[in-house]
Amino acid sequence: MNPKVTYINPWRKPIIAAVSLLVFFAVIGILRVLPVEDKHHVLPESLLGPAVDFNADIRPIINKKCIACHGGVKKSGGLSFLFEEEALAVNESGKRAIVPGNTWKSELLSRITHHDPEFRMPLDADPLSNEEVKLFRRWINQGAPWKDHWAYIAPKAQEEPKVESEWVSNDIDKFVLQQLEEKGLPPNPRADKYTLIRRVSLDLTGLPPSISQVKAFVEDQSPNAFEKVVDDLLASPAYGERWAAMWMDLARYADSKGYEADRPRSIWKYRDWLIKAFNENIPFDQFVTEQLAGDLLPKPKDEHFIATAFHRNTMNNDEGGTDNEEFRNAALIDRVNTTWTVLQGTTMECVQCHSHPYDPIRHEDFFKSMAFFNQSADADIPSEAPVLKDFEEEEDLAALERIQDWVRGHCGGNAEHNPRYYEDLIRITEPKLHPHYFEQMDKGIAIPGTAVFKVSDSVYSRKKEVPFMGENRMMLRYQADTSIGVMQIRVDAKDGELIGSFPVKKRTKTVYDKKEKKDKTYTIRETISVPVKQVYGNRDLYLVLEGAEKSHTECFIEWVAFHQALPGEGQKGYDKVEKDFYELFNSDKKKSTTPIMVDLKDGYRRKTHVFEKGNWMVLGDVVKPGVPDKWNAFKPDWERDRLGLAQWIFSTKNPLTARVTVNRFWEQLFGLGIVETLEDFGSQGFAPTHPELLDWLALRFMHQHKWDVKSLLKEIVMSSTYQQASIMREDHREVDPRNQWLARGPRVRLTAEQVRDQALAVSGLLSRKMYGPSVMPEQPEGIWQVVYSGEFNWATSQGEDRHRRAIYTFWRRTSPYPSFISFDSPSREFCLPRRIATNTPLQALVTLNDPVYLEAAQALARRVLKDEDSPGLEQRIRRMYSFALLRGIQEEKMEDLTKLFHETQVYFRNDPEAICQFTGEDNEELAIWTVMANAIMNLDEFIMKG
Amino acid sequence: MNLIEELTYRELQQQTRRHFLKQCANGLGAIALGSLLGCGANSSTGQQKVLEDLVNKVPHFAPKAKRIIYLHMAGAPSQLELFDYKPDLSKLDGKDCPPSLLEGKKFAFIQGIPKMLGPQAEFKERGDSGMVVSDLLPHFSSMVDDVTLIKTMHTDEFNHAPAQLLLHTGSPRLGRPSMGSWVTYGLGSENENLPGYIVLVSGGNTPDAGKSVWGSGFLPSVYQGVQCRSEGDPVLYVGNPSGMSAKLRKQTIDAINGVNEKEYKTMGDPEILTRISQYEMAFKMQASVPEVMDIKDEPDYIHEMYGTSPGKTSFANNCLLARRLLEKGVRFVQLFDWGWDTHGVSERESLEVGLRNKCQQVDRPMAALVKDLKQRGLLDETLVVWGGEFGRTPMQENRGGRVWPFKGRDHHTEAFPVWMAGGGVKGGFTLGETDEIGYYPVKDRVHVHDLQATILHLMGYDHEKFTYFAQGRDFRLTDVSGKVIHKIIA
Repeated sequence: MNPKVTYINPWRKPIIAAVSLLVFFAVIGILRVLPVEDKHHVLPESLLGPAVDFNADIRPIINKKCIACHGGVKKSGGLSFLFEEEALAVNESGKRAIVPGNTWKSELLSRITHHDPEFRMPLDADPLSNEEVKLFRRWINQGAPWKDHWAYIAPKAQEEPKVESEWVSNDIDKFVLQQLEEKGLPPNPRADKYTLIRRVSLDLTGLPPSISQVKAFVEDQSPNAFEKVVDDLLASPAYGERWAAMWMDLARYADSKGYEADRPRSIWKYRDWLIKAFNENIPFDQFVTEQLAGDLLPKPKDEHFIATAFHRNTMNNDEGGTDNEEFRNAALIDRVNTTWTVLQGTTMECVQCHSHPYDPIRHEDFFKSMAFFNQSADADIPSEAPVLKDFEEEEDLAALERIQDWVRGHCGGNAEHNPRYYEDLIRITEPKLHPHYFEQMDKGIAIPGTAVFKVSDSVYSRKKEVPFMGENRMMLRYQADTSIGVMQIRVDAKDGELIGSFPVKKRTKTVYDKKEKKDKTYTIRETISVPVKQVYGNRDLYLVLEGAEKSHTECFIEWVAFHQALPGEGQKGYDKVEKDFYELFNSDKKKSTTPIMVDLKDGYRRKTHVFEKGNWMVLGDVVKPGVPDKWNAFKPDWERDRLGLAQWIFSTKNPLTARVTVNRFWEQLFGLGIVETLEDFGSQGFAPTHPELLDWLALRFMHQHKWDVKSLLKEIVMSSTYQQASIMREDHREVDPRNQWLARGPRVRLTAEQVRDQALAVSGLLSRKMYGPSVMPEQPEGIWQVVYSGEFNWATSQGEDRHRRAIYTFWRRTSPYPSFISFDSPSREFCLPRRIATNTPLQALVTLNDPVYLEAAQALARRVLKDEDSPGLEQRIRRMYSFALLRGIQEEKMEDLTKLFHETQVYFRNDPEAICQFTGEDNEELAIWTVMANAIMNLDEFIMKG
Repeated sequence: MNLIEELTYRELQQQTRRHFLKQCANGLGAIALGSLLGCGANSSTGQQKVLEDLVNKVPHFAPKAKRIIYLHMAGAPSQLELFDYKPDLSKLDGKDCPPSLLEGKKFAFIQGIPKMLGPQAEFKERGDSGMVVSDLLPHFSSMVDDVTLIKTMHTDEFNHAPAQLLLHTGSPRLGRPSMGSWVTYGLGSENENLPGYIVLVSGGNTPDAGKSVWGSGFLPSVYQGVQCRSEGDPVLYVGNPSGMSAKLRKQTIDAINGVNEKEYKTMGDPEILTRISQYEMAFKMQASVPEVMDIKDEPDYIHEMYGTSPGKTSFANNCLLARRLLEKGVRFVQLFDWGWDTHGVSERESLEVGLRNKCQQVDRPMAALVKDLKQRGLLDETLVVWGGEFGRTPMQENRGGRVWPFKGRDHHTEAFPVWMAGGGVKGGFTLGETDEIGYYPVKDRVHVHDLQATILHLMGYDHEKFTYFAQGRDFRLTDVSGKVIHKIIA
């Protein structure tokens, strides 16, 4: 018999089927949670559940609930979530918080689910939700894949979204429209031509368009009419002024030094450099490189030095008794913070005292950055040296030329001491030894010098370890109160080797005192250069005064510098050249100076230490210039100096430079950045609303536009996104009140500068004079009632200087121009990466009552009254509105303004004396129309960019 | 929706809208921003109720003080001539300073070895409490039983500007919000027609640190102190141009707002409604600021009490103005009186003449202020604070190694006095002791951050929790330190 083979179809037996299924899922389940490290390498992904994204799912929980105790500041229990290696490391308890793949061994999971609140994390807070715990579990099971914060990963190439719409003008619109479609928000139609030209003109030049520009645009029916307008605006000189104004907040530009005394500083050439640089459209990488390191470029020109004033806009403390080294360090720290804020959108200031609490930057990274800047010769001294001297009179310029000619003819091909050496010696004179480097030895007590140091019959001064390099001259700037005594220059000791000497000389100057009506004589400082014996190596320098016991001569020295003598001594004509040389240091002829960056030469260079807990007096390890690990690597062939830093910043591999920059320009046009927190792209900043667009723009800016700012701006303003009407629809208000998704055009309040410039422009008062020292337009009495004002007063400018663009207004840090402050401009003590526009009654008071705005109102009134085309009341109102707003008035607005006209007329008829008080002349029409203009120039639509 | 509803809508939006509000733990900034300068003007709607509810919820706990007047003597008065009586120092007068006091110390001007300088005033016990105060402050001496005196304040900074910044902003560097900004940010204003934080300056100069001591730092600029002036416009540009009446100004603003309403109908941007309300507020300020700043209508006995004369800039006038502003609901009034830097290098800067003159200028009005607040029943909820930015050395200053014709003292960080009255602090109480020459505190040392923590505590705030997110982290007035001085709280 054949055995009967029975095939049992398991599916017919429900129990077996059920068991099999159970076993199958149990196996999968077990596999999934199996506490086996690195199982994610073996198991198929599908078995490990839906993928958890570290940046989207895990990091937000960590940042919100864990990092305060387990981050860069505190590392409770030895655990930090800042870096992957720290998160995976063994902690103080001997356990590991996260063991990839192993949920049993991962202490984190047991702590966040612990039943005992004394052990449960986060401590003293609500436990994590079930969903959060599940996320952590799944993530660990999947191998705890770590991902860097998006901003530290270089931008990726993005394909333009495939959206079909007539609304799309360029690729930008595709990214925007795709988001809008997802949100169900249709974009606004294009703004009318009047609105559009006013918007783009204010955006690109900071000024409203002229009436003829508006007319031309409105009448131009050609398809590229708008493009022509944009090209004209980009080519206008006003363009550079508008964008320099933006950059001046970043550069913390001011015409004073800050701190208590807040004395004036001459640095306006840097402002002029900015305007020219924007107008000439220097590529952005070059623009920044020159500002960071223009002095280190091969054969730097004057403008390269002037550009470096960017980082000489730090404050300088002239107050007595302050430690110059402390405030030099404060300036240095500010340079680091500003560089990182402006170019990397990174809050480096957090790292001064400890590792970054949220972002992957270590404490020592701050000082590695600082090391790039630490070789600059500036030292918080009142003269602000190093400065670049610009001789402005023919005679001085000719003298300088003669000296260089002489050197050319007599240096005998000396490569080092060439004409350039002598030009730098005369115009920059570095490195200098400053008074606080010297010790004044008074009865055995060493007292450091302050603004000057003293050498007298009873006091000698010394500077330890001067790096002599065989110079044969010592230059110094000093004054003496008698002409008795000989200054001895010695090395090693007070009675060490004599290397030079000179008889001291009292130099005086007599000027006529207008107040006292008589001549007055002052002792003044003189710069001299004396021959010294050549010495080499680090030797202590002593200055000792001999032969002044009876006269008690006192000399006060401002600085000392060693240099090479002019060549050709003894040859014919040398005396004349030496006289020229002396004159250039001592003549009263007009010259300007601008603080610049110059690096110390070998021997004078400083070491950079970590400041323990941020305290500059507690020095830690010595560090070399460098950048944080998470960023692109610093290439070996880049010098570790400011120029190398610039190369690193503009490497196409740098994840942040281009993103931060396009985002800043975007914000200037739309009022809101793609990343709203312009100043912080780190994990505590806002995520980008349009990450793909941001990367696309960043890459395009680098590779297609080649850092060309005008092309970038043109591309943005040519988009339909930018050109939309700014009307806020009901759905906007519900879905997108802040216009993050860009279903409407920008509607933003004008900046402080634009508020002023527009008022002057539409009234016809605006002076278009460019460049030069800052001016002082009218400001109320008593604003500069500050300590140490002394002779430094607000002297109201005359003539057209009263009506220059806001950018030329004198900016005193402790007392900035009041109407600008009301409109949210900063005091410029530090870099301000983003102005937040407020809306306050104090602003209303400025535009209603500030004499500057009343003057503008009156000028606008005259402009309308002169206009013969509009004699009637109605036409005049229309005309005035159009002069101001560059478009026609809506009919219903006429009512309010007509009513105001009649009320004003009644008022001045009832009180005719008020006319003269109000306008300064007996002209009723002018008075009425000034009130009208004052009203129109206070309308919301006038203060806003629509 | 009508306009008023729109405005309410707009207000509610602000709470979610602004980036900075997201970070504000108590959600209060929204209200302060709106109400500080008067968006809450529409009290006929339910909005006022909402605002009040929120304002009342704001502090961390019940405040003892609702308002502050801070009297800052810029330049730093000498404690050794006013509040810290050191008979032993008289014995050392004219002797060389022991080197132990000089080691490791930094002074602004003292060089080498200076001479000790005994007290330049007579002292007595005053009031029931027996608080010791010098003869230079006779009026103050009559009210010591309402005052807590802290003799042992210390600071980190020995120059005026940084020390003033540390005192008022919690940091010696520029860029942080001032105490008044923090308080108005936290509590808003009780008055819709006036700013919540007003600054008055006397003595001929603004303080050394400039306007930054009442700046808003990284807080929105609406929280910065508004300087009111006794001469010229009390608030910049608050006065109409000559020839323009208030009525015509109102008509102008009505026309502006009329056009703005129409613009709103077209554009739909709620920011326009804010502008409308801010123009209304501006108009109200035009009336209320000059009114409150005009002290002519005060009765004679008040002028007598304070020593005021209308129309002048003086500390006395500012004290009276402070009371008037407070009565109108201003939250924080900050007075700066310049000229206390008694180095002894000129008559004005001397202990013999300059200090006496300054005392005469402030003694009567500051005492009158406390008494006046008390008689009006306002002192309980008003905290009055008086002090400088640091103290002065027990040594005579010898600037440039010279002997100067006048007596003076250099800057000293280790010991200086602050007195407080009202607002939940004890009366007739002295805290702290310094050593026999008034150089170092020996008991109950109080740091500037402790004082700030205490002031915030009295205003209902836990200084450690009252934070604002900026530049990548949470900031607070007391930086990373500060302890509430519970001993002085009643």
